[in-house]
Amino acid sequence: MARFAEPMARLIEELRKLPGIGTKSAQRMAFHILRASEADAEALADAVRDLKAKLRLCSVCNNITDVDPCIYCASPTRNQRLVCVVEEPTSIASVEKSRGYNGVYHVLHGTLSPLHGVGPEHLRTGNLLVRVERGEVDEVILATSPTVEGEATAAYLADLLRPLKVRATRIATGVPAGSDIEYADEVTMTRAIEGRREV
Amino acid sequence: MFMHVDDGRRPANRVSRKSTCVGQENGFGQGNWQRGVRAAPRAVRNVAIPGWDCLDAGYALNVTTHRIESIVLKSWPLHEADLVVSLLTREAGKIKGIAKSGLKSRRRFGGALEPMTYVLASYAEKPRQELVRLDSCEIVASPLSEEMDYGRAAALAFYTEVLEEALPDRDPQDAIFRLTLAVLAHTRKGHIWMPVTYFSLWIPRLLGWLPELGRCTVCEEPLTGRGGYFHAEMDGLVCETHRPAGARMLTAESLALAQTMFRQPVAKFAASEGEAAWPAARAADLRRFTTQSLERHLERRLRSVEALRRLAKA
Ligand SMILES: [Zn+2]
Ligand SMILES: [Zn+2]
Repeated sequence: MARFAEPMARLIEELRKLPGIGTKSAQRMAFHILRASEADAEALADAVRDLKAKLRLCSVCNNITDVDPCIYCASPTRNQRLVCVVEEPTSIASVEKSRGYNGVYHVLHGTLSPLHGVGPEHLRTGNLLVRVERGEVDEVILATSPTVEGEATAAYLADLLRPLKVRATRIATGVPAGSDIEYADEVTMTRAIEGRREV
Repeated sequence: MFMHVDDGRRPANRVSRKSTCVGQENGFGQGNWQRGVRAAPRAVRNVAIPGWDCLDAGYALNVTTHRIESIVLKSWPLHEADLVVSLLTREAGKIKGIAKSGLKSRRRFGGALEPMTYVLASYAEKPRQELVRLDSCEIVASPLSEEMDYGRAAALAFYTEVLEEALPDRDPQDAIFRLTLAVLAHTRKGHIWMPVTYFSLWIPRLLGWLPELGRCTVCEEPLTGRGGYFHAEMDGLVCETHRPAGARMLTAESLALAQTMFRQPVAKFAASEGEAAWPAARAADLRRFTTQSLERHLERRLRSVEALRRLAKA
């Protein structure tokens, strides 16, 4: 590998740590930044610095936010008594896409995962339980993935919520819209039937 | 989605992809796919390889396709959309395959790639290639068709981790395959300790890691009816005289239970035991003995064993 001046080598080394970036891409990026205007380079550096300095977890729902509470928790038009529990902050975008949901969120930052050493004591559930215990919540929608770990997590949360006398619901899973039911496997089909609704 | 080997309607921009096509990257094909595809006789063209648009005649002739019973062990992402899947197949042992678009195409694989799903896996392979190309998995039995909780997830994780770590690639072990299916059928919510214990006892036995339990491994004195001692640094059990410092006791009751488990298939054993008979505390010493044996032979701690230990204490 060619030898670079120390600041260049350092930037390449840092860029190489990003997902999907190899040595060659890192070098291309580093040279691009070197050729860029002073202002552009500053803007990039500031953006990186601000990301860590200004973002934190919402104290109410654990969403990643620059204001606390986050925009959902602070919204006067959202139903603050309806809470949708998701695995990751990125899952919020998926629920929001539906446009049909007007409640708020709770982010777990993961699922129970025996193979990754994540047990019940590691899930971020404390502030959710506080909200429920204070009587601030009417319904908790468990929107973890329909995987082994997502189902185990939903079951664990349902057990936690049961004695608190709050309505807990699980999202329906079934045949994806726009697909042929011929392609649905047996588990998906069973769930689609279980989750059927009146028309 | 099947990309048939048919050059007629292939858009022009595909030609420019020849330098990055998957087959060439993996050394499957030589030369450009255009020539290969055009040269391929009709019969070979019908060996349609889904998603592989750089097939050539030489490759197609060497491809063998399989559709065999398998248990999914685990999968992890490769590049943007693909998945690498580790499968325990009945006839070919443990294999790894690439599920093209496995991350995106939920329609093709759906929930079939969840760990411990019993599937009929269709895959194609070429001699001397380590990774097969996984085309589809039809679910025969899914762990998701029954209620899930953390305990059941931990038990499934234990089977997964042990099989993934302990079995060498491409070494068929029919007995282990059957054992796994059998214990899976008995691993239910609130009822995991019997199947976990049964599995943890039989796996080291089937892998030849467990000496006969009825006698002291030093002096051969019979232990049946008295129990024995075990230690993280040694195989098998010893009598009181030969117990090393730090050894733990395996009670006479747990030893008898192990001997019964060796004599009976899991279904028969389960029927004779009854559902309620297995709290976490039962035969905990036997599980510690067997999981220690597994961990010593694997030369590493198993995360799922730790999860099970914490669960048993809770
Ligand atoms: Zn919030
Ligand atoms: Zn002895």
